[in-house]
Amino acid sequence: MNTSDLNGIIPKSNRLLDKARTYLDDFKAWVNLDSSNLSTGQQLAVKYFTVAVILFFAQLLFGMLAAIQFIYPGFLYEILDFNVNRMVHINAMIVWMLYGFIGSIYWLIEDESGTGIVGLKWANIAFWVLTGAVTLVVLVYLFIQIGPGKDSSLWFINEGREYIEAPRWADLGITAVMLVFFYNVVATFSKGQWSGIGGVLVLDLIALVGLYLAGMFYMTNITHEQYWWWWVIHLWVEATWEVLVGVIMAWSLMKLLGVRRKIVQTWLYIEVALMFGSGILGLGHHYFWIGMPEYWLSVGGFFSALEPIPLVAMVVHAVYDAGVHAFKTVNHPALAWVVAHAFGNFFGAGVWGFMHTLPQINMYTHGTQWSASHGHLSFFGAYATINIAFFYLAIQQWRGGVWMAAGAHHAWRWKWALGLLNAGVVGMTIALLIAGYEQSFIERAVEGSTWGGYFAAQNEPSFQRAMGWRLLFGGITLAGFILLVWDLLTIGKGETRKIPTINQS
Amino acid sequence: MIEPVALQDFFITFFSAALIILAGASYALLFAWSKVNSHFRIKIAALVSYAVLILSVAELTRAAHFQGYWLIISMAMAVGYFFAPIGIWHLCVKTHADQDLIKTKGGRR
Repeated sequence: MNTSDLNGIIPKSNRLLDKARTYLDDFKAWVNLDSSNLSTGQQLAVKYFTVAVILFFAQLLFGMLAAIQFIYPGFLYEILDFNVNRMVHINAMIVWMLYGFIGSIYWLIEDESGTGIVGLKWANIAFWVLTGAVTLVVLVYLFIQIGPGKDSSLWFINEGREYIEAPRWADLGITAVMLVFFYNVVATFSKGQWSGIGGVLVLDLIALVGLYLAGMFYMTNITHEQYWWWWVIHLWVEATWEVLVGVIMAWSLMKLLGVRRKIVQTWLYIEVALMFGSGILGLGHHYFWIGMPEYWLSVGGFFSALEPIPLVAMVVHAVYDAGVHAFKTVNHPALAWVVAHAFGNFFGAGVWGFMHTLPQINMYTHGTQWSASHGHLSFFGAYATINIAFFYLAIQQWRGGVWMAAGAHHAWRWKWALGLLNAGVVGMTIALLIAGYEQSFIERAVEGSTWGGYFAAQNEPSFQRAMGWRLLFGGITLAGFILLVWDLLTIGKGETRKIPTINQS
Repeated sequence: MIEPVALQDFFITFFSAALIILAGASYALLFAWSKVNSHFRIKIAALVSYAVLILSVAELTRAAHFQGYWLIISMAMAVGYFFAPIGIWHLCVKTHADQDLIKTKGGRR
């Protein structure tokens, strides 16, 4: 390349940058959000929410690609293989939910502690470090899809643990960022005032950070390896994440419905007791078939049977509270997503979980599309819904605390987004349930888990039809997501009515 | 030791397990509703839900070959789902104790 070529490239790239800047400015003018309505902590929170939404899109996009490959196995073969699409699909899901949770906590701690975030500068640095690391990890997933399994690949390419494939350098980075996050939370509450919500949050974050370390062991014995790996996957999701959602819900209910602090805190303690009481040893249902001692069959079976109790408690309390508040709120979309959370959590985690959790039946269903069916509904119902509810709370504040309840403009958008996303996920869940039933029956029960059985099940017309339906409903989910983003960017625009302040004590 | 579900019992196992959770939640919902609105029909509906739950537990016990200490799970579900909503209701009343609460048709709290 000679100097004249370079002379041509530099102005060209400058022109491109200027164009991009102009588009960004136009976009900002169109969205018309005023960050002066937000505190410094909330400004950080919306950065997390923005990345969460982008990763949510990545989850759906790579999920769609994987769904297409189930039907057309040659699609993107050796360009973007199924294992890569599936990995990015699942990793993006875990990370966007974490971004949503972290953003929600940054959003609420100033209000909850009564003071500004301590160490905000570090928190901002941590955000950019985490986002840079996530971007790099995904790029490595996409560009280095195959290679030898050496120590160096474990450190720099892929750790090879399903759901938490991030290489070890990223693991250490994530842990460091989590420690900064933990410091922000503890120092802020220490400077301001502690509350029951703050106490539960801090204890839960200790468990959240500590358990992630369990996913960084490397052992040559696959049983030992899986033993610790499940600590991250199960205990994060069915214990610490549930409590984190409890904290976010407790604060949101005070803001959305004006529920008194004493009540939400008492129930938060009860929920923590029920979640940890059943969830920790419910871990046993993952130990059934990995070479652990036989007593885990009984322990896992018994505590899995207890896991729906918090959900039953939720039903009773919802009826009790409905008689008091009659669901009066100033943010209809957020409340609608909280209601979707209650139903999704109950059906996804409770009904879909217990259907196949006892070892007498789980030996046929474990790791089939049945698990995928349960996973889709429970992750969406328990976690995606509550994050989306919080996005609506945040956007309301970002718009300056405008009215987002009865009579709001363009309400059809959030209603359709809610309907399409829920219908899409429920449709995928049913389709995967049919595929999982067929797979566990033919591959596992009839053919005895042989390779031949695997392919016999995959080639069954009912399995393939179910995968077609899954793709269709995946498309509906994607359409719902696009509408959701449009709604989040435009809801409350031009609205002049302000919300009354909800007081809680 | 566990005895796996027989092929012909696959569907009934999934179905009865799902029905336990659904009937348990229906019973909890109707029980709580009968406390808010003390109508005779709601109480009957709650008891019918509980009866469905008991039948589902019995069917799951048969289909999943629960024997020996596995029967504790069946007992825990039958007893636990009955008393859990009652206990949770009392917790609701206690945690809201100093608030002017629900006005019921029967004037009960």
